[in-house]
Amino acid sequence: MDKWKKLTASLLGPTAAIALGLLAGSIAIVIAGGSILETYAEMWKGAFGSFYFLASTLNRATPVILVGLGAAIAFRSGFFNLGAQGQMALGGLAAALTALYVPGPGWLVAVVSMLVGIAAGGLWSAFAGYMDARFRMNLLITTLLLNYIATLFASYMVAYPFKDKTGSAAMAQSQMIDNAIWLPKLFKGMPAHVGLLLALAAMVALYVYLTRTVSGYEARMMGGNPLFAVYGGVRRTPLMLGVMFASGGLAGLAGAGEVLGSQYRYIDNSFVAADFAWTGIMAALLANAHPVGTAIAAFFLVALQTGGMGVEMNTDVPLEIGDVIQAVLILFITVKFVRGFRRRRKEGDPNGAAV
Amino acid sequence: MEQLFDLALFNSALRMLTPILLAALGGALCARVGLFNVGLEGLMLIGAFSAIVGNHYFGNTGAAIAFSIGCVSLFALLFAYLCIHLRANVIVVGIAMNLLAAGLTTFSLRTLFNVKGAYYNKDMVGLPKWDIPLIKDIPVVGDILSGHSPLVYLAFVLVGAMWYYFYRTIGGFRFLAAGDNPLAARSLGIQVRRYQYGAMLACGVLCALAGAQLSLGQVTMFTEGMTAGRGFIALVATMLGQSGPLGVAAASLLFGLMDAFSIRLQGFAMPSHFTQMVPYAVTIAAMFLFKNKEFVKDAQSSGTSSR
Amino acid sequence: MLLKMEGISKNYGDVRANRQIDYDLKPGEVHAIVGENGAGKTTLMRILYGMEQPSSGTIRIGGREVRFADPKDAIAHGIGMVHQHFMLFQNFTVAENIVIGKEPGKLRFDRKAAVAQVEALSEKYGIRVDPKARIVDCPLGVQQRVEILKVLYQGAEIIILDEPTGVLTPLEVGELLEAIRTLTKQGKSFILISHKLNEVMSAADRITVLRDGEVTGVLEASRTSIEELSRLMVGRPLAAMDKQPASPKDKVLEIKELSVLGSGSKPAVDSVSLHVRAGEIVGIAGISGNGQSELLQAISGLTKPAGGTVALLGADVTGKSAREFRNAGLAHIPEDRYVWGASKSATVAETGTMGHQRKLGKLGFLQGRTVKARVSEWIKQYAIKAGSPDNETQNLSGGNLQKLIVAREIAQQTPFLIAAEPTRGVDIGAMETIHEQLLRKRDAGGAILLVSSELSEILKLSDRILVMYEGKIVGELQEGEATEEKLSLLMVGGKRNG
Repeated sequence: MDKWKKLTASLLGPTAAIALGLLAGSIAIVIAGGSILETYAEMWKGAFGSFYFLASTLNRATPVILVGLGAAIAFRSGFFNLGAQGQMALGGLAAALTALYVPGPGWLVAVVSMLVGIAAGGLWSAFAGYMDARFRMNLLITTLLLNYIATLFASYMVAYPFKDKTGSAAMAQSQMIDNAIWLPKLFKGMPAHVGLLLALAAMVALYVYLTRTVSGYEARMMGGNPLFAVYGGVRRTPLMLGVMFASGGLAGLAGAGEVLGSQYRYIDNSFVAADFAWTGIMAALLANAHPVGTAIAAFFLVALQTGGMGVEMNTDVPLEIGDVIQAVLILFITVKFVRGFRRRRKEGDPNGAAV
Repeated sequence: MEQLFDLALFNSALRMLTPILLAALGGALCARVGLFNVGLEGLMLIGAFSAIVGNHYFGNTGAAIAFSIGCVSLFALLFAYLCIHLRANVIVVGIAMNLLAAGLTTFSLRTLFNVKGAYYNKDMVGLPKWDIPLIKDIPVVGDILSGHSPLVYLAFVLVGAMWYYFYRTIGGFRFLAAGDNPLAARSLGIQVRRYQYGAMLACGVLCALAGAQLSLGQVTMFTEGMTAGRGFIALVATMLGQSGPLGVAAASLLFGLMDAFSIRLQGFAMPSHFTQMVPYAVTIAAMFLFKNKEFVKDAQSSGTSSR
Repeated sequence: MLLKMEGISKNYGDVRANRQIDYDLKPGEVHAIVGENGAGKTTLMRILYGMEQPSSGTIRIGGREVRFADPKDAIAHGIGMVHQHFMLFQNFTVAENIVIGKEPGKLRFDRKAAVAQVEALSEKYGIRVDPKARIVDCPLGVQQRVEILKVLYQGAEIIILDEPTGVLTPLEVGELLEAIRTLTKQGKSFILISHKLNEVMSAADRITVLRDGEVTGVLEASRTSIEELSRLMVGRPLAAMDKQPASPKDKVLEIKELSVLGSGSKPAVDSVSLHVRAGEIVGIAGISGNGQSELLQAISGLTKPAGGTVALLGADVTGKSAREFRNAGLAHIPEDRYVWGASKSATVAETGTMGHQRKLGKLGFLQGRTVKARVSEWIKQYAIKAGSPDNETQNLSGGNLQKLIVAREIAQQTPFLIAAEPTRGVDIGAMETIHEQLLRKRDAGGAILLVSSELSEILKLSDRILVMYEGKIVGELQEGEATEEKLSLLMVGGKRNG
């Protein structure tokens, strides 16, 4: 009984935010000179209209879910890791280079490449965690700044030393990976690949970690009140390094999966252009860093993007309509904090602790 | 090395530091009343875009800047309302604001100008370059200081104005008090929220100016995400300068110089990827030198004030 | 009548903090309000000072009905408040702190005039301060003088003193009482809020007693007694404490020459040596801010000491992490329950799990049911009003949260327990429960280090009392020989027999 009440209450905020997002989208559509109903219908079709579209939405959602889960574990522990973009780029680059240059049977190379991708993203992220723990350098800012350095570095790698010189000279990209290493597709001829299953497995694992394990409990308490956690015997530095590694590792896996399962090479700027990283972070914010909620939100946000492509193809409204809806959504999720605040005020401690 | 360091480098450094300095002053105002504004980047981006929109429709830089100030103030007010009245987490709203700015500018770029990526129109007028009568004739100094857009000079005037406000006026005294101990300020009937709104609004205006300098100051154009992390660098400048106007100006000077330096390096036989990294790497290095408070003490002070 | 409050009621949700309270004040009078924590004193004063709006009732000043929307209105009507926790700006000077809100100058802040005005004010009322000193560098007694000068500068006729002696040395208390007498002669009136009855008796002309938000008596100080007041305050006879003499055994905690750096040049803890044996409660008395917090942090793994050693059950744990301290046998009731003791957004069960999580884990998994069962047991045993264990911690009242924390730490069943301010801000009932549990733990062979700024608590529970002053242990007294007077003297650095 209590649980149902809690569940409906927790769904109220997102529902209201979605409604406001769609409303803002409607306004944007009118400004862009389109018809609201027609545009939303096209959007729906673009995202889910056929099995192919659905599969391509799922394909695009795969890295976003992984990045979102990575952001979620960091946010839950109170660490603002905003470095998914760079972590993902390094993960993708490292996986591509491993797949290109490490010999061995295809499946094994694929597995090793993914592990290398996880390690690259994870270590880059843990580096920021280390700088915070050891030198007290603000994590939120270092992760953001490291994004620029990592993406520029990855661009350099495929623009100079590892550039594919066989194809068109203008493109900065690595060589194509041998197709024995490609991640298998889920359905023949459809875009979605087994990376999606990995993402869902990661979601379940993260849920279990946070709700059932001792370490997950400690991480959540660290996010709630770090002094309480430290007082209770939680060691901040190892936890921070571990969480940041996992967080960046998931972003790295997102990059690796995208390279091995979808693009088959590292193409400069392709991750940034698709906005995987920030969409993932948005998903985590939207779902208040709940693992299952993050995955659902990621899927929904991606559907807005792929739907936007359908809109652009068939109407005069540009595909960025999806961005507007997303952005408004994200702003209004903050409203959920209000409910908690009002309740606290009402039941305020009369002993003056509310001063 | 002569090519690397010359007067033009310092001249362009002044130009490059202006957006950072303006935004960092805004960040300092917010920080002084307890709002850690991560949204500088987004506000600046909206400022840059709306300045171009204003320029396009009014054909006049003054009106363009006014339009930009109006737009950004609107977003700053929304930001303030969410943080102050609805008590949303300032950092979360700041991140959301950055995402909103990126999404909105991209969408509006498509709908208003029907272009992707960047908008440029040779008919648009950029900000004028001011030659300062006497100074421009002084050999070295004149080359560095003269011939900038009015916003460059305004930025430095604002540094002085902010210093005077903080340390010489009653309003500034109360502003600092409201940030130093909000509880005590409230007990004296000082409207802390009003100062917080004021800080956020002023920050919006400053970010609008910063954005206008970006899009109208040198080449008159807008490109998607053209702030390129300058908002975050400004945030670091705020922290390095300990939210004092003079310190913030000094830190911005360093970052502006690095920005100019990175562009200058491109003329050398070095991949542009590495030269572009310079400002970010220098910012991280600067953070290394300026350390945050110890975690426990930091969390304690923020923990008790939120009780 | 200068001030008249009639029928004041204030409800917070279902909680009725004030019920039909009448209160009045004559010019030149000191009219005290006494009552236990949670009796409604603070709420009543917040209403008078415009920080809260009453649910019903009227306030009259000089016969005219007034309504205060915020403190500014109250100040404009000549009401000034000296808060229990000083409302000062640490980085500003004394003069700046006094004139704020009514600064000399128009737009420009004339700091020279401010200093001159403060000097004149200080002269007029005979309250000495250095206008140019920064508040951080001032002792608490001086800070209180600054607070009083501030309300006088604002033109207050009615001065509310909320628990004014909590952080003062006896000498400073004496000076404060003297200042009150001087000011009443000049026509100022005081509302003195306190739960220290002897001070109230010596300073007040009249006393209003509150209990559970209601007035239980208005008495002339000259015609009442401490006994009568405490009966009115508590409303029932207190259960007599059944405290057996201690039988101390082996040393559990041993500290040698421990030093902790402070924020300034002086160390916060200055080569302190002490030990606590199994089966005894050692109390540390002292005015807060004399290094107790830092000492506690150093012996619970929250701060690294600058020198010296800490040993628990013979094992050297100096400078180790909080986890290692806990593993070595520490449980810890922290001095601030919201800063250290709980996470407001966590559930009651989660807050209750802290420190137990590794013991309640199997292969790294937390045993959710065991946790909830345990917490439910505590809720029953300690009569914690918590609803279900799934309720959010922030919904608990201060006293109930404190009981939860005490239950959690006692249940660690460690050989050593730190109890810092274990009953701060809790009601009498909760206080009795907590004291009883601490004694029971001692009798079961636990070693307890009690740190409290309440002398009565120290005297009631401790088998041995150490006094801390300016980071040093300045005296040690056995249970029998310690009295409030002796301790007070030591607490301000006086000689033991002097």
